[in-house]
Amino acid sequence: MESNLKPTGIPVITDIEKPPLSLSQLVFLRFKRHKMAVAGIFILILMIFYSIGGTFFKTEAYSLVTDTSIRLNAPSTEHPFGTDAVGRDILARTIFGGQISLLIGLVAMTLEVIVGVLIGAIAGYYGGILDSLLMRFTEAMLNIPQIPLLLVLGKMLSDKIAPLSIFGRQFSGSVVVIIAVIGLTSWMGLARIVRANFLSLREQEFVTAARCTGTKNWSIIFEHILPNTMAPIIVSATLAVANAIISEAYVSFLGVGVMPPTATWGNMLNGAYTYIESAPWLWIFPGGFIVLTVLSINFIGDGLRDALDPRALTQSE
Amino acid sequence: MKKCVIIWNNLINIKKGGNSKKSLFGLFNKLHKYTKQEKEENIMSDKNNMIKLLGIFIIASFVLTACGGGGTVPTEAPTAAPTSVVPAAEKIVTIAWTQEPNSLNRSYSSMWYMSVLTNIYECWPWNYDANNEPYPNLLTEMPTVSDDGLVVTMKLRDDITWSDGTPITSDDFVFTHEMINSTANSVDSAYPYDQFTISAPDAQTVIMTFSEVFTSWQSSLWQGSLMPKHILQPVFDSEGTIDAAEWNMAPTVGCGPFNFSAWESGSYLRFDKNPNYWGPASKLDAIVFQFVPDDAAQTAAILAGDVDAGYWPPFEDIPAFQDAGMNIVKVLAGYNEGWFFNLRDMASPGIKDLVVRKAIAMGLNREANTDLRLGLVKVNKTLWDDLPAYVDPSITAWPYDPEAAKVLLEDHGYVDSDADGIREDLEGNPLTITYGTTDKTERQNYQALAQQQMLAIGIDLQTFSYDADILFASYSDNGPAAIGDLDIMEWSDAPYFPDPDTSYWLCSDTPSDENPYGYNYFVCDETLDALFQQQIVTGDPAAREQIFWNITKYMHDNLYYLGIWEDPDIWIFNSRVTGYIISGVTPFHNVADWDITP
Amino acid sequence: MVRYIIRRLLQAIPLLLLISIMIFVLLQSSGDPLASMGGKRLTRPEDRARLAKIMGLDQPIYMQYIYWLVGNDWVQIDVDNDGTLDTYGTRKGVIRGDFGFSLLSRGKLALDLILERLPNTMVLMIPAEIIILFFSLVVGIYSALRQYSLTDQVITTASFIGYSMPIFFVALASMYIFAVNFRKWGLPYLPTVGMFDPKVGKTFSQVAIHMILPIFSMSLVSISGYSRFVRSQMLEVISQDYIRTAYAKGLSERMVLIGHALKNAAIPFVTLVGIDIPFLLGGAVITETIFGWPGMGRLFIDHLTRYDTPVVMGILMLISLAVVFFQLLTDIVYGWLDPRIRYN
Repeated sequence: MESNLKPTGIPVITDIEKPPLSLSQLVFLRFKRHKMAVAGIFILILMIFYSIGGTFFKTEAYSLVTDTSIRLNAPSTEHPFGTDAVGRDILARTIFGGQISLLIGLVAMTLEVIVGVLIGAIAGYYGGILDSLLMRFTEAMLNIPQIPLLLVLGKMLSDKIAPLSIFGRQFSGSVVVIIAVIGLTSWMGLARIVRANFLSLREQEFVTAARCTGTKNWSIIFEHILPNTMAPIIVSATLAVANAIISEAYVSFLGVGVMPPTATWGNMLNGAYTYIESAPWLWIFPGGFIVLTVLSINFIGDGLRDALDPRALTQSE
Repeated sequence: MKKCVIIWNNLINIKKGGNSKKSLFGLFNKLHKYTKQEKEENIMSDKNNMIKLLGIFIIASFVLTACGGGGTVPTEAPTAAPTSVVPAAEKIVTIAWTQEPNSLNRSYSSMWYMSVLTNIYECWPWNYDANNEPYPNLLTEMPTVSDDGLVVTMKLRDDITWSDGTPITSDDFVFTHEMINSTANSVDSAYPYDQFTISAPDAQTVIMTFSEVFTSWQSSLWQGSLMPKHILQPVFDSEGTIDAAEWNMAPTVGCGPFNFSAWESGSYLRFDKNPNYWGPASKLDAIVFQFVPDDAAQTAAILAGDVDAGYWPPFEDIPAFQDAGMNIVKVLAGYNEGWFFNLRDMASPGIKDLVVRKAIAMGLNREANTDLRLGLVKVNKTLWDDLPAYVDPSITAWPYDPEAAKVLLEDHGYVDSDADGIREDLEGNPLTITYGTTDKTERQNYQALAQQQMLAIGIDLQTFSYDADILFASYSDNGPAAIGDLDIMEWSDAPYFPDPDTSYWLCSDTPSDENPYGYNYFVCDETLDALFQQQIVTGDPAAREQIFWNITKYMHDNLYYLGIWEDPDIWIFNSRVTGYIISGVTPFHNVADWDITP
Repeated sequence: MVRYIIRRLLQAIPLLLLISIMIFVLLQSSGDPLASMGGKRLTRPEDRARLAKIMGLDQPIYMQYIYWLVGNDWVQIDVDNDGTLDTYGTRKGVIRGDFGFSLLSRGKLALDLILERLPNTMVLMIPAEIIILFFSLVVGIYSALRQYSLTDQVITTASFIGYSMPIFFVALASMYIFAVNFRKWGLPYLPTVGMFDPKVGKTFSQVAIHMILPIFSMSLVSISGYSRFVRSQMLEVISQDYIRTAYAKGLSERMVLIGHALKNAAIPFVTLVGIDIPFLLGGAVITETIFGWPGMGRLFIDHLTRYDTPVVMGILMLISLAVVFFQLLTDIVYGWLDPRIRYN
């Protein structure tokens, strides 16, 4: 074993009798070395704790209390993040808004990634008729304008879905509708990218080799090719979270989705539109939380990509 | 402009240098010609590229700013008059306009943002002054009504002409009536021109004969709908319809103080001074309406001075305008924001009980809630507050008294038996009231306030907000207001101002499967229905006022409507614009007197 | 490859047909164009019946679609509403280039409305797209080369702030800063709204200076997103063996980068661009609304909210055509960028 030529990131095996590490252990070790990724996980967990744990400090009812005499007050000791246009405490609203926004952002992103990767992988790997059908379907979906679709789906579905109950808080059925609508209308770009990568990768020798050894197709797709195309998927996922959170604001703006006065980070930004200059605390805090969430997921994604990619060489830090 | 082009060319040439590959476009091309390795020395580094390009972008912006019509602005207005003789600049007022009209023929458009323009290039037989009182414009005097109330006679002036010199005569009125009623034309609505027949015994007299007494003729007829017979008759004869007439989109022949001059789709609408105007010549050379769809952008444009005036800004921006020295004109136009109660069969049992409605009225802190409009508006008592002659003076507003509301509910059996903060109604179900409105931020904010205030007296107010098109959709389209999903509906509405008539509470307009487009979403009350039917056929103004006193008192006592606040028209004018007198019905009625100091 | 292209073009026809049907049905079920014709009052039943007949809305939905597609000059219609069939219709249908009359601006052809606004949109979107593409590449590559350095972290953070801000925010904030406040502070300032100052007219310098803020707002968000893709793909590629070989052969960094790496990193970038370009036709609804730019985006939203099917269908079909075309183009470009890709 060469012990002085050491690509960083890969543990050196000095003792032949120690069993080699499994894939997940390897990934975990490499991930840990990526400082920003660890920071990302830390921040994300912080955001989640803020949204969930915050409920111990401020009740949901408190976040709804209005008082026009203290409206649009700058941050103070009693209201650390200030008050909004009807006198509600912004700190409390970001806590409860965070629950919904994080839920929507993360779940919609997951949905998007799953659908996009599946369609792209199948189309790219199998080619032929399957590829044509799936890609035509993708193009058709691209052509459907989002706004009428949202209006029609929103009208049809909002009443029919029962409210969810998570951790004792009731989320209206419209949250499910939004997650479904955003998730199912944003996967097209990712599908195309994954397909393109698959088209390229399936011609490589390692795929031919895998086929020769009789590996099943799904195994080739998910265990051989997919890890090599993680990079754009991860970037897509991180952008998808931001996109989902902001799309939710736009969807609520159309009257479909999370009804006010329930707060979400997205619709708090919406409400701050006319106060950009006069009351910046209305948008700085929810906007800041969105950015932190997205940044943290991005760093986690960076770390994951580096950890998963067998060839990536991290520069010495 | 030429100077700018030269500077811009020089900037590009710096990049081009001696070797075309150094240009911006050359670099882009390079990205694909990877096999031509010998060209590597000519490609600049990315970093240098980026910095240089950013620099160019910034410099270019400054260059264009300097050339294109920006330039630095002195922070104070020049106080000394120019000493050299300078040709007088054109006097043009630019107004920010939120919605672009879909047609300039009044009969093809129902938009307010179009109909008010008709005072500028079209002409009304009578206009309305700042107190919303009518005065004759094309007529020698206000029209006379026969004793039985069925015949209305108009006497035209003999000196009125279209802008091409052709006289305006009764033929034009007859022609307009014919066109609107013709089934070959897809006008928005034939109402109320299908309520009467018309005749023209001579060139200056128009006689309108109604089949039934129609008291609101004055506030609904001839409001900019006059069509020039000599232009449109030939079109109708040759094409069978005036739908595609050029005049509809470009009414170059008009009868107002200004003439239509240009309409750039999406950008602006321009009216130039009419040299052949039969009335006093206008002081301005032109009026331009620039389409600015976004409220906040409109505020920015007014503050920056890119436009001279605007309409209906958000209330939050009014202090900013005041600080900037702008003039704010508040005009009553009949609109008031209010809560309409749904008392039909499908409504919740709570809202149908007058006791609950009284409790709601006393539990809602309407005065304090006007903070959302910076306290600049008053709470209205009825839908007719802008027409005070028709409101019973003995009506006093419901007071804000949450304690009395609680007592009232307790005494009538609405107790909170399970101590969850919400009272139960007489059937044991939670007292839940549904409340819907449009998704305008101000209304959503009001909903938040109302919800908390109702919670304080033990009522569960569930709020919903919809896109306006969805909320106001008809019964056949399952509009939530129409099908009765909402117990309380909030929006801003007016009677057929300046006439007090309204058809909202007629029993015959209740929506149902047989009558899918009915719009009485509220209540069919025999007494009220009879009163409304009576007022429309009562010709005597004093008697009609008395009927409305009964209507307003009845509606107040039975709480069929709860006033939220008045909704006046708000106009913002730059301090340079002068001479305007804004009326609620016809804002541009004295547009010929408007002036602007340069 | 040629057979592939022909196959794709043939597939495009039923696809476009299917898309047009889906969108037509979607539009018809989203709302009623006659609802707001009454102005202050709700539309009366008599008016509704008359208008529905004239505008052809009283036909069943499949008939309306057929008339939209192939016109009605091969059937007799009742022009003057007297119950008897009079003459043949005058519409030729989309197949022959007639998109019908707008339901909102009656008297104007839908196609005319679209063609009036299309140049304005192109003038805004094409320079915007060029700027976005260029800066995304530059920022992405730069960031990838300096991975994990301070510059990279700063750019990453800035990108995510940029991407996380809703576009209306960026637009309005930049309007306030560069137009309203700069003017107040006596600095050279930009105009707030519109494509040009109506008093001056549609000159080159007017349009150019009015373009700056809208393009800036759109670019900020898009560059932030795209540069992430470029960066990530570049990172993938520069760790490959053949790049190490290229360095070993003595090529400079620029050459390796642009000659070898970029081509292979470009695939996701090209994908996104391929998806983006057709939507340039649709303009940018929010940016155009805020800046009052008279483009296709505003036309779309103004007519969508009034359920003006002919105009909205016209815009969407143009975009569909562009989508199908550009998807085909991107597939061809993949083949060129990466010779390993085969279409069987």
